[in-house]
Amino acid sequence: MTTDDDIKYDRSLLGVSNPLGQFQVTAQMILDFSESCGETNPVHSDEAKAKESEFGSLIAPPTFCNVFVNGLSRPDIKLEFGDIGFFAGQAIESLAPIRPGDTLNASTKLKEVYAKTGRSGKMVFAVWETSFSNQNDEDVARVQESYVRRNSRKK
Amino acid sequence: MNKELYFDDVEIGDDIGPVERTVNVEQVVRFLSVHQGRDIGTNRFTSEEAAQKEGLPGAIVPGAMNIAMMSTLLTGWSDTARLKKLDVVFRGMVPHNKTLKLAGIVTDKDVVDGEARLECDVFLENDEGTRLIIGNAIVLLPQR
Repeated sequence: MTTDDDIKYDRSLLGVSNPLGQFQVTAQMILDFSESCGETNPVHSDEAKAKESEFGSLIAPPTFCNVFVNGLSRPDIKLEFGDIGFFAGQAIESLAPIRPGDTLNASTKLKEVYAKTGRSGKMVFAVWETSFSNQNDEDVARVQESYVRRNSRKK
Repeated sequence: MNKELYFDDVEIGDDIGPVERTVNVEQVVRFLSVHQGRDIGTNRFTSEEAAQKEGLPGAIVPGAMNIAMMSTLLTGWSDTARLKKLDVVFRGMVPHNKTLKLAGIVTDKDVVDGEARLECDVFLENDEGTRLIIGNAIVLLPQR
Protein backbone atom coordinates (compact mmCIF):
# COMPACT_ATOMS: atom_id res chain seq x y z
CA MET A 1 0.00 0.00 0.00
CA THR A 2 1.17 3.50 -0.84
CA THR A 3 0.50 6.44 1.40
CA ASP A 4 1.06 10.09 0.65
CA ASP A 5 3.90 9.96 3.18
CA ASP A 6 5.80 7.76 0.72
CA ILE A 7 5.87 10.43 -1.99
CA LYS A 8 9.27 12.05 -2.23
CA TYR A 9 9.30 15.78 -3.03
CA ASP A 10 10.45 19.03 -1.48
CA ARG A 11 7.94 19.32 1.34
CA SER A 12 9.38 22.67 2.45
CA LEU A 13 7.42 24.24 -0.44
CA LEU A 14 4.02 23.16 0.88
CA GLY A 15 1.87 26.15 1.73
CA VAL A 16 4.64 28.69 1.10
CA SER A 17 3.35 31.74 -0.76
CA ASN A 18 5.36 32.84 -3.81
CA PRO A 19 4.61 36.36 -5.08
CA LEU A 20 4.05 36.48 -8.83
CA GLY A 21 3.88 40.23 -9.26
CA GLN A 22 1.32 42.79 -10.33
CA PHE A 23 -0.91 42.77 -13.37
CA GLN A 24 -2.77 45.76 -14.82
CA VAL A 25 -6.26 45.21 -16.20
CA THR A 26 -7.57 47.35 -19.05
CA ALA A 27 -10.92 47.48 -20.79
CA GLN A 28 -9.20 46.49 -24.03
CA MET A 29 -7.76 43.34 -22.41
CA ILE A 30 -11.23 42.37 -21.20
CA LEU A 31 -12.78 43.01 -24.61
CA ASP A 32 -9.99 41.14 -26.45
CA PHE A 33 -10.29 38.20 -24.06
CA SER A 34 -14.07 38.13 -24.51
CA GLU A 35 -13.94 38.31 -28.27
CA SER A 36 -11.26 35.63 -28.64
CA CYS A 37 -13.18 33.05 -26.61
CA GLY A 38 -16.67 33.90 -27.84
CA GLU A 39 -17.95 35.62 -24.71
CA THR A 40 -21.34 37.23 -25.39
CA ASN A 41 -22.62 38.20 -21.94
CA PRO A 42 -22.78 42.02 -22.12
CA VAL A 43 -21.25 42.57 -18.68
CA HIS A 44 -18.06 41.07 -20.14
CA SER A 45 -18.27 42.13 -23.78
CA ASP A 46 -20.22 45.39 -24.20
CA GLU A 47 -19.05 48.50 -22.35
CA ALA A 48 -22.27 50.46 -22.88
CA LYS A 49 -24.59 47.68 -21.70
CA ALA A 50 -22.26 46.76 -18.83
CA LYS A 51 -22.59 50.32 -17.50
CA GLU A 52 -26.33 49.74 -17.17
CA SER A 53 -25.84 46.44 -15.29
CA GLU A 54 -25.66 45.93 -11.52
CA PHE A 55 -21.86 46.24 -11.82
CA GLY A 56 -21.93 49.71 -13.37
CA SER A 57 -18.99 48.90 -15.65
CA LEU A 58 -17.42 46.23 -17.76
CA ILE A 59 -16.14 43.34 -15.64
CA ALA A 60 -13.68 40.63 -16.60
CA PRO A 61 -15.03 37.20 -17.57
CA PRO A 62 -14.80 34.58 -14.81
CA THR A 63 -11.67 32.86 -16.15
CA PHE A 64 -9.85 36.06 -17.11
CA CYS A 65 -7.09 35.62 -14.49
CA ASN A 66 -5.96 32.56 -16.38
CA VAL A 67 -4.13 34.76 -18.86
CA PHE A 68 -1.75 35.68 -16.04
CA VAL A 69 -1.40 32.12 -14.74
CA ASN A 70 -0.63 30.71 -18.18
CA GLY A 71 3.07 29.94 -18.55
CA LEU A 72 4.08 30.82 -15.00
CA SER A 73 7.28 29.30 -13.78
CA ARG A 74 6.99 27.82 -10.33
CA PRO A 75 9.54 26.35 -7.95
CA ASP A 76 10.62 22.79 -8.77
CA ILE A 77 9.08 20.50 -6.16
CA LYS A 78 11.70 17.82 -6.99
CA LEU A 79 9.11 15.09 -7.20
CA GLU A 80 10.77 11.69 -7.38
CA PHE A 81 8.11 9.82 -9.27
CA GLY A 82 7.13 9.03 -12.84
CA ASP A 83 8.66 9.80 -16.20
CA ILE A 84 5.83 11.71 -17.84
CA GLY A 85 3.71 14.59 -16.65
CA PHE A 86 0.73 16.53 -17.88
CA PHE A 87 -1.79 19.19 -16.94
CA ALA A 88 -4.74 17.40 -15.35
CA GLY A 89 -7.29 20.02 -14.44
CA GLN A 90 -8.16 23.43 -13.18
CA ALA A 91 -10.69 25.09 -10.91
CA ILE A 92 -11.40 28.81 -11.07
CA GLU A 93 -13.43 30.65 -8.50
CA SER A 94 -14.68 34.21 -8.96
CA LEU A 95 -14.69 36.02 -5.64
CA ALA A 96 -15.32 39.63 -6.67
CA PRO A 97 -15.63 41.61 -9.92
CA ILE A 98 -12.43 42.53 -11.77
CA ARG A 99 -12.76 45.90 -13.48
CA PRO A 100 -10.77 47.97 -15.98
CA GLY A 101 -8.13 49.95 -14.10
CA ASP A 102 -7.67 47.30 -11.43
CA THR A 103 -4.16 46.32 -10.37
CA LEU A 104 -4.06 42.66 -9.41
CA ASN A 105 -1.52 41.13 -7.08
CA ALA A 106 -0.94 37.43 -7.50
CA SER A 107 0.73 34.80 -5.37
CA THR A 108 0.93 31.06 -5.73
CA LYS A 109 1.54 28.19 -3.34
CA LEU A 110 1.84 24.43 -3.48
CA LYS A 111 -1.41 23.35 -1.88
CA GLU A 112 -1.07 19.58 -1.79
CA VAL A 113 0.63 16.56 -3.27
CA TYR A 114 -1.17 13.24 -3.23
CA ALA A 115 -1.18 9.83 -4.87
CA LYS A 116 -4.02 8.04 -6.58
CA THR A 117 -4.15 4.68 -8.31
CA GLY A 118 -6.08 4.48 -11.57
CA ARG A 119 -6.34 2.03 -14.46
CA SER A 120 -2.92 3.09 -15.69
CA GLY A 121 -1.36 2.57 -12.26
CA LYS A 122 -0.18 4.98 -9.62
CA MET A 123 -0.28 8.70 -10.33
CA VAL A 124 0.95 11.58 -8.21
CA PHE A 125 -0.88 14.90 -8.32
CA ALA A 126 0.61 18.27 -7.40
CA VAL A 127 -1.94 21.02 -6.83
CA TRP A 128 -0.95 24.71 -7.04
CA GLU A 129 -3.25 27.46 -5.85
CA THR A 130 -2.89 30.99 -7.21
CA SER A 131 -4.72 33.84 -5.53
CA PHE A 132 -5.46 37.26 -7.00
CA SER A 133 -6.34 40.36 -5.00
CA ASN A 134 -7.01 43.88 -6.21
CA GLN A 135 -5.53 47.25 -5.19
CA ASN A 136 -7.97 47.35 -2.23
CA ASP A 137 -6.66 43.99 -0.92
CA GLU A 138 -9.94 42.38 -1.88
CA ASP A 139 -9.65 38.76 -3.02
CA VAL A 140 -11.01 38.59 -6.57
CA ALA A 141 -10.12 35.14 -7.90
CA ARG A 142 -8.61 31.82 -6.94
CA VAL A 143 -7.17 29.36 -9.46
CA GLN A 144 -6.23 25.78 -8.63
CA GLU A 145 -4.20 23.79 -11.13
CA SER A 146 -3.46 20.07 -10.93
CA TYR A 147 -0.47 18.47 -12.57
CA VAL A 148 -0.04 14.72 -12.64
CA ARG A 149 3.00 12.51 -13.03
CA ARG A 150 2.99 8.81 -13.76
CA ASN A 151 5.16 6.13 -15.28
CA SER A 152 4.85 5.60 -19.03
CA ARG A 153 3.73 2.18 -20.23
CA LYS A 154 6.74 1.58 -22.46
CA LYS A 155 8.56 -0.68 -19.96
CA MET B 1 -29.35 33.38 -25.18
CA ASN B 2 -32.14 33.85 -22.61
CA LYS B 3 -32.10 37.56 -21.91
CA GLU B 4 -33.30 37.23 -18.34
CA LEU B 5 -33.23 33.83 -16.74
CA TYR B 6 -34.32 33.47 -13.12
CA PHE B 7 -33.45 30.81 -10.55
CA ASP B 8 -37.15 30.05 -10.15
CA ASP B 9 -37.44 29.17 -13.86
CA VAL B 10 -34.72 26.50 -13.84
CA GLU B 11 -35.30 22.85 -12.99
CA ILE B 12 -32.83 20.11 -12.14
CA GLY B 13 -32.18 18.24 -15.37
CA ASP B 14 -32.47 21.32 -17.61
CA ASP B 15 -30.03 21.34 -20.50
CA ILE B 16 -27.53 24.13 -21.06
CA GLY B 17 -26.57 24.51 -24.69
CA PRO B 18 -25.37 22.77 -26.74
CA VAL B 19 -23.17 25.36 -28.37
CA GLU B 20 -20.89 24.58 -31.31
CA ARG B 21 -17.49 26.18 -31.68
CA THR B 22 -14.52 26.00 -34.01
CA VAL B 23 -11.22 27.56 -32.97
CA ASN B 24 -8.70 28.84 -35.51
CA VAL B 25 -5.14 30.03 -35.08
CA GLU B 26 -6.12 33.72 -35.30
CA GLN B 27 -8.42 33.32 -32.28
CA VAL B 28 -5.67 31.53 -30.34
CA VAL B 29 -3.15 34.27 -31.14
CA ARG B 30 -5.62 36.92 -30.03
CA PHE B 31 -6.31 35.04 -26.80
CA LEU B 32 -2.63 34.60 -25.99
CA SER B 33 -1.95 38.24 -26.92
CA VAL B 34 -4.22 39.55 -24.16
CA HIS B 35 -1.37 39.27 -21.69
CA GLN B 36 1.68 38.23 -23.70
CA GLY B 37 1.39 40.88 -26.42
CA ARG B 38 1.46 40.25 -30.13
CA ASP B 39 4.95 38.75 -30.14
CA ILE B 40 4.02 35.31 -28.87
CA GLY B 41 6.21 33.37 -31.33
CA THR B 42 5.47 29.91 -32.64
CA ASN B 43 4.62 27.05 -30.39
CA ARG B 44 2.25 24.07 -30.13
CA PHE B 45 -0.69 26.46 -29.80
CA THR B 46 0.04 28.61 -32.83
CA SER B 47 1.93 26.43 -35.31
CA GLU B 48 1.14 23.09 -36.93
CA GLU B 49 4.84 22.51 -37.51
CA ALA B 50 5.83 23.28 -33.90
CA ALA B 51 3.08 20.97 -32.65
CA GLN B 52 4.13 18.15 -34.94
CA LYS B 53 7.74 18.49 -33.76
CA GLU B 54 6.39 17.72 -30.28
CA GLY B 55 4.68 14.61 -31.58
CA LEU B 56 1.20 16.10 -31.73
CA PRO B 57 -0.99 15.63 -34.80
CA GLY B 58 -1.48 19.39 -35.11
CA ALA B 59 -1.78 22.67 -33.26
CA ILE B 60 -3.89 22.58 -30.11
CA VAL B 61 -6.01 25.07 -28.21
CA PRO B 62 -4.41 26.28 -24.93
CA GLY B 63 -5.97 24.94 -21.75
CA ALA B 64 -6.72 28.47 -20.55
CA MET B 65 -8.69 29.15 -23.72
CA ASN B 66 -10.58 25.89 -23.40
CA ILE B 67 -11.71 26.73 -19.88
CA ALA B 68 -12.65 30.23 -21.10
CA MET B 69 -14.87 28.66 -23.78
CA MET B 70 -16.42 26.37 -21.17
CA SER B 71 -17.15 29.49 -19.16
CA THR B 72 -18.93 31.13 -22.11
CA LEU B 73 -21.35 28.21 -22.28
CA LEU B 74 -22.59 29.31 -18.85
CA THR B 75 -22.25 33.10 -19.08
CA GLY B 76 -23.85 32.94 -22.52
CA TRP B 77 -26.81 30.97 -21.19
CA SER B 78 -28.42 34.22 -20.03
CA ASP B 79 -27.48 37.86 -19.49
CA THR B 80 -28.34 37.27 -15.83
CA ALA B 81 -26.09 34.20 -15.32
CA ARG B 82 -23.01 34.74 -13.16
CA LEU B 83 -20.38 32.01 -13.02
CA LYS B 84 -19.06 31.56 -9.50
CA LYS B 85 -16.89 28.48 -9.92
CA LEU B 86 -15.75 26.25 -12.75
CA ASP B 87 -13.80 23.06 -12.10
CA VAL B 88 -12.63 21.03 -15.11
CA VAL B 89 -10.58 17.95 -15.90
CA PHE B 90 -8.64 17.80 -19.15
CA ARG B 91 -8.92 14.36 -20.76
CA GLY B 92 -7.70 15.06 -24.27
CA MET B 93 -6.13 17.73 -26.42
CA VAL B 94 -8.43 20.14 -28.23
CA PRO B 95 -7.48 20.61 -31.91
CA HIS B 96 -7.80 23.70 -34.10
CA ASN B 97 -10.36 23.90 -36.90
CA LYS B 98 -12.60 21.06 -35.71
CA THR B 99 -16.20 21.34 -34.63
CA LEU B 100 -16.46 21.27 -30.85
CA LYS B 101 -19.65 20.85 -28.86
CA LEU B 102 -20.07 22.42 -25.44
CA ALA B 103 -23.03 21.49 -23.30
CA GLY B 104 -24.17 21.08 -19.74
CA ILE B 105 -26.99 20.02 -17.47
CA VAL B 106 -28.32 21.39 -14.19
CA THR B 107 -27.69 18.81 -11.46
CA ASP B 108 -28.81 20.69 -8.34
CA LYS B 109 -30.23 24.00 -7.16
CA ASP B 110 -30.18 25.61 -3.76
CA VAL B 111 -30.01 28.95 -1.97
CA VAL B 112 -26.78 29.19 0.02
CA ASP B 113 -25.88 32.26 2.09
CA GLY B 114 -28.49 34.24 0.20
CA GLU B 115 -27.10 33.21 -3.18
CA ALA B 116 -29.38 31.32 -5.55
CA ARG B 117 -26.99 28.66 -6.88
CA LEU B 118 -27.21 26.08 -9.60
CA GLU B 119 -24.79 23.19 -9.81
CA CYS B 120 -24.12 22.04 -13.34
CA ASP B 121 -22.14 19.34 -15.12
CA VAL B 122 -20.44 20.58 -18.27
CA PHE B 123 -18.39 19.06 -21.07
CA LEU B 124 -16.61 19.83 -24.31
CA GLU B 125 -16.55 17.08 -26.93
CA ASN B 126 -15.09 16.66 -30.39
CA ASP B 127 -16.96 15.77 -33.57
CA GLU B 128 -16.55 12.06 -32.78
CA GLY B 129 -18.38 12.46 -29.49
CA THR B 130 -15.27 12.05 -27.34
CA ARG B 131 -15.38 14.21 -24.25
CA LEU B 132 -12.11 16.12 -24.14
CA ILE B 133 -12.98 18.21 -21.09
CA ILE B 134 -15.47 17.47 -18.35
CA GLY B 135 -16.29 19.45 -15.26
CA ASN B 136 -18.78 21.05 -12.97
CA ALA B 137 -19.79 24.59 -12.24
CA ILE B 138 -21.68 26.79 -9.82
CA VAL B 139 -23.84 29.41 -11.53
CA LEU B 140 -25.70 32.21 -9.76
CA LEU B 141 -29.05 33.48 -11.01
CA PRO B 142 -31.35 36.18 -9.64
CA GLN B 143 -34.56 35.19 -7.90
CA ARG B 144 -37.93 36.64 -8.89
